[in-house]
Amino acid sequence: MDELFAPTVPDEAMALALDRVRRGAETGDVSELDGLALDQVILNMGPQHPATHGVLRLVVTLDGEVVRDVIPVVGYLHRCKEKLAEKRTYYQYIPIVDRTEYMAGMNCEWTYVLAVEELAGIEVPRRAEFIRVIMAELNRIASHHVAVGTFTADLSPLGTAMAFYTFRDREKILDLLEEAAGARMMFNYFRFGGVRFDLPPGWEQRCRELMAEVPKWTDEYRALVEDNAVFLSRTIDKGVISQQDVVDYAITGPNARASGVPHDLRRTRPYSVYPELDFELCLADHGDVFDRYKVRVDEMLQSARIVQQCLDMMPRGPVQEGSLRAPYVITPPPGSAYIAQENPRGEYGIYIVSDGSRYPYRLKYRDPCFINLQLLPKLMRGNKIADAVAIGGSIDLVLGGIDR
Amino acid sequence: MSLQVGDIEIGLAEFAARLEERFAGELTDVALQPPVTVVARLAREKLAEVARRLHDLDETPLDCLNLISSVDNVGSLECVYHLYSFPANLYLELHVEVPRGTPVVDTVSDVWPAADWHEREAWDMMGIRFRGHPDLRRILLKDDWIGHPLRKDYVDDVRNHPYV
Amino acid sequence: MALTDEVRRRLPESIAARLSYPKLSDFERPNVITTTADLVFNWARSHSVFPFQYGLACCAIEMLSSGFARFDIARYGMEVFRPTPRQCDLMIVAGTVNERMAPVLHRLYEQMAEPKWVISMGACATSGGPFYDGYNVVNGVDKVVPVDVYIPGCPPRPEALFDGMLQLQRKIQQLTFAPPEHVEQLDAADAPWRASAIGQRARFGGRVSRKRLTP
Repeated sequence: MDELFAPTVPDEAMALALDRVRRGAETGDVSELDGLALDQVILNMGPQHPATHGVLRLVVTLDGEVVRDVIPVVGYLHRCKEKLAEKRTYYQYIPIVDRTEYMAGMNCEWTYVLAVEELAGIEVPRRAEFIRVIMAELNRIASHHVAVGTFTADLSPLGTAMAFYTFRDREKILDLLEEAAGARMMFNYFRFGGVRFDLPPGWEQRCRELMAEVPKWTDEYRALVEDNAVFLSRTIDKGVISQQDVVDYAITGPNARASGVPHDLRRTRPYSVYPELDFELCLADHGDVFDRYKVRVDEMLQSARIVQQCLDMMPRGPVQEGSLRAPYVITPPPGSAYIAQENPRGEYGIYIVSDGSRYPYRLKYRDPCFINLQLLPKLMRGNKIADAVAIGGSIDLVLGGIDR
Repeated sequence: MSLQVGDIEIGLAEFAARLEERFAGELTDVALQPPVTVVARLAREKLAEVARRLHDLDETPLDCLNLISSVDNVGSLECVYHLYSFPANLYLELHVEVPRGTPVVDTVSDVWPAADWHEREAWDMMGIRFRGHPDLRRILLKDDWIGHPLRKDYVDDVRNHPYV
Repeated sequence: MALTDEVRRRLPESIAARLSYPKLSDFERPNVITTTADLVFNWARSHSVFPFQYGLACCAIEMLSSGFARFDIARYGMEVFRPTPRQCDLMIVAGTVNERMAPVLHRLYEQMAEPKWVISMGACATSGGPFYDGYNVVNGVDKVVPVDVYIPGCPPRPEALFDGMLQLQRKIQQLTFAPPEHVEQLDAADAPWRASAIGQRARFGGRVSRKRLTP
């Protein structure tokens, strides 16, 4: 019991924040108000916090309400995925890749499966390619639903009203994914050389009907928030990511496109059947919080468009490479490959090194949220704490990917 | 002027030839990995200088650091820098070998600010020290974790586990 | 104010004769007063549990989904997710606990006020899940806090979470005011950590008896 009432010994992150404050005091970088020196407050937005989207810890140095410095502390969800890759066979590892960016499981699995297919030289039948694109795009819409919903919930607790609408529509998409893959979130659907199951009967019709509704959904979301003066004043011109930041910090995904950088791996490094599909890149000019929200809502429409095209173009045929129907053990030849894909959050890549055995030798993730989080201190500085939280929400972080 | 991606049309082979020509002595074993990657080796002593020159290369600068991987090849460690060029829309994968005895390498966080956390992770997981890094401390594991887990000879210490 | 004998002596005769509300001594043995009090308090406690918004990983998204429109958790009275442990009864540990998070989890558990319950949601919180052999993963949240209900699944569907919550409601309804020595003990063996982790249970309203181990 004694340790509960002992004076708090600052841990490394807090000690670092304290140290920076002291050094600031020595160099004269102190806060002042009418000639009075003010203390800076070190606030720990601990790993358990409703607005940090998971177990992210932010040690925030505040000057009144204005954020002077932020030290993000991660690792509260580190699940040793890269080491586990060395202990699981390639096939056993597919469900674990799912759980990296758990909002966009299909996209993550696809990246891993593509990397191994590249190493092993496996071809994928055409029908399977289209099914993969459909699943990935549906998952993109579902992921953006959560992103937009939780972002408005960050702005204010009353903002969860928007989350009710987005989650209601997300459930309809998860119903479709559950019919096809068997699970609502961790799908374990992709296989080397295709996908596990073919689409159930009637699925295509249901999917078409649902995609026809997507414009209605996006109109509803826009109508809920975009006329609201408070929403606009809290999101316009806040947290601006400049184009130089995009290059320096390797920001990708909707965060980069909101700043006007047309970087979308479906166009710049096309894979699968994306070259045959017709869709627009959703760009915006300013790179502020509002633009990131707007790009995500626009992308839902583009994804619906892609799904409709795929349903029209999909041929009949096998959905998995014939010789690999039961590939419990796969041994790619020695080599390495880096494959990257457009995740709803950015460029999700896997660098895989194989030594010819049944276990991967080294698997390294290029996780978009880990990289986007590096920019967060720079974005938050100078803003009030409430806006800082909104900026953090607009970056769309998933701790599963940051900590792996 | 808005930033464009791939506005300089350059093929992969031509890009590789360009790099080989500009960095004749330094980049060795230049190979192509279609569709978009050039793979090369670099000695660790030359890393700091070559990094700066790659970043400032004219026409097709490698202005974006995508990822720093660390691999434990049993004889030595290896740092792999995945670089990307926005104008050329092409990737360069640099393999830098690091000896096991003195796993120290120069930092590139002054050239590419994105390298900061990648190097911290490489230190945390593989134990590669980056000389000149502003704040090299553990990022994913506890501050007082003993050992570097992604090494092949990692043995888990019981002191790491107060909650068994 | 409790109607002790001393207080009775000081009251006027006419009033004392008519006073009939329960004396403290009425709670010594289980009887209709304790069972009625049990009924009321347990009904209140089990049907308005305040969960602690403690989503760690992927299971947190299913917990969130269960709070929204389709899988409405408000019909069980549990829609009040509080972000601070001081206002909560129930900690739903949704996700993997690792060595870095475990002290934080322990501390948050200690900050909750009695009576409190823990649901371990998902395979990771139950036993480490798919990451059981990770060097950084604690195999099960019951190594850190005592758990009342385990919900398997990866992730458990919102319906599975509700099943666990209904089990917890039934468990809460086992609480009794009667002192334990008068209650028939069907299962006297508690896990050893329970005694020290929870500490002294208040005499008033908090003992778990096993007298009705019905499903």
